[in-house]
Amino acid sequence: MVRNVAIVGGGHSDWGERAATWKDLAQEGGKAAFDAVPEVGPEDIEGLFVGAVQPERFANQTHVAPLVAELLGIEVTEMIARTELACASGQAALRYAWLAIAAGQLDVALVLGVEKMNLGRKYMPEMQASMANVLDREFDGANGLAAPPFFAWYAQRHMHEYGTTREQLSQVAAKNKTNASKTDFAQFQSSCAIEDVEESPEIAAPLHLFDCSGITDGAAGAILMSEEKAREVTDTPAFITGSGQSSMAGNSINNLPSLSTWPQARKASQNAYEQAGIEDPLADIDVAEVHDCFSISEIIEYEELGFAERGEGGQFIEDGRSHIDGDVAVNPRGGLLGCGHPLGATGISQALEITHQFQGTVSSDRQVDDPTTGLIHNLSGSASVHSVMVLDRDPQ
Amino acid sequence: MSDDTPDRKRVSVPEEIELPRLLDFYELQTDDHTRIHEFYENLRDGQLTTTRCQDCEEIHYPPRIVCPECMGDNLAYVDLPHEGELFAFSEVRGGLPIGLAEHDVPYVVAVVDLGPVRLSARVDGAAYDDLEIGDPVELNIVEIDGPTEEERVFYRFEPVNENGGDSE
Ligand SMILES: [Zn+2]
Repeated sequence: MVRNVAIVGGGHSDWGERAATWKDLAQEGGKAAFDAVPEVGPEDIEGLFVGAVQPERFANQTHVAPLVAELLGIEVTEMIARTELACASGQAALRYAWLAIAAGQLDVALVLGVEKMNLGRKYMPEMQASMANVLDREFDGANGLAAPPFFAWYAQRHMHEYGTTREQLSQVAAKNKTNASKTDFAQFQSSCAIEDVEESPEIAAPLHLFDCSGITDGAAGAILMSEEKAREVTDTPAFITGSGQSSMAGNSINNLPSLSTWPQARKASQNAYEQAGIEDPLADIDVAEVHDCFSISEIIEYEELGFAERGEGGQFIEDGRSHIDGDVAVNPRGGLLGCGHPLGATGISQALEITHQFQGTVSSDRQVDDPTTGLIHNLSGSASVHSVMVLDRDPQ
Repeated sequence: MSDDTPDRKRVSVPEEIELPRLLDFYELQTDDHTRIHEFYENLRDGQLTTTRCQDCEEIHYPPRIVCPECMGDNLAYVDLPHEGELFAFSEVRGGLPIGLAEHDVPYVVAVVDLGPVRLSARVDGAAYDDLEIGDPVELNIVEIDGPTEEERVFYRFEPVNENGGDSE
């Protein structure tokens, strides 16, 4: 890239089922970001990027980026945008801020992700309708398809084609939910055993409740700066050294390339690895926050991101290689399964976890041993788009 | 509260809001609403169809008005088989969207392989535990009741009767 770009810090609102509005959450996330980086205030922000998926449907509010600017007292001088890329909206916002700073259009950006999803039990069918519309509603949503049965198909096909086991799915969920018990803002706050996953109610066979990420209210904010500015603020910036995205002309079920693999994730990660100079991801990446919206997702991601061979993702978790002390620590924050998944905030929270892992500021019982290179990964929609970003303590 | 609370003017909002048109999952299916009305007309006549590009021969599902391979717009409707195999399936136990919330759970939703195309579909008349990948299923056209006055249809599938007869 033309200029090096780094995340200097940021913070979270509490995540979960919150007695708070969309505007409340945006303010909490923004305040947490500025509190974490006291050298930067609203008056320093030149670009504002807001990751938000369905404020129109969850909060009856549109044109949300200027609303966030008003709430946080930011007078944007260079660039303001709201990003919507379903579950990857937060990473999309990071990517736009990175590009704008790298291109020299601005030096300091706030990237804020926020989603209000819990509408009260009585109104949850409205939330479910909004989520089903992420698919091709005319031909897939109308069939009663939603995220749990969609990812259940992947679990069924992966088990059918590669012999992945029900217990391996449970191992992913138990690892991530237990990791989340060490993360203060997370929705899920207690440790979880394999039996807990299999004893939880079946939501969409073969997936159980604990195989699924939560319905979560929450926000996260990160401050991005050009290298020169970042060096004035912190000794441990997290540099963005690669970023890739891939979508293969498939969104409707009929046109997806596979129901057991994600070649889009492979392509996106290859692009990001090439930019970041990573030749062997398993050896080079120390910590990864990947999109475990459902337990099966993480198993396929081990394979597509280059940590395991195709079909061997189940064995990878079974051998403990993705645990905090494994070959690559996957989702030490607790992932989506443990932290919850406030859509627009997720990618930003993942990037903050990598930043805080580099800075050594996470809870000591989830701290990875001296990590230097990390990765975030999001899928979105019918897993039709995959986004990957590589972070490093050095700008390369 | 003290007794000297001043009189307040009352304003009101509707107690009930009808299901908004956009929260009803089924498209309006006639030629004054959609350019793929022929798909729905064929379905009303009992035939599942899709579009094929007359220029490059590619077949697509869902039906299109522009060919994504060659950008041609010379598309014709072709028949799809009414029998296929289960490629993947799950059983939904809850969490239904508004507009589908009146449907019975659990229900099976599957990917059906018809040969030329694969598509998602509800599978009626079977439970998850009764089904296996590769099981034969056949088309079952349903009429959609409400919330508009328009006649609408949609497709589902059901397991092929084991003795080969109609599944009446
Ligand atoms: Zn064509």
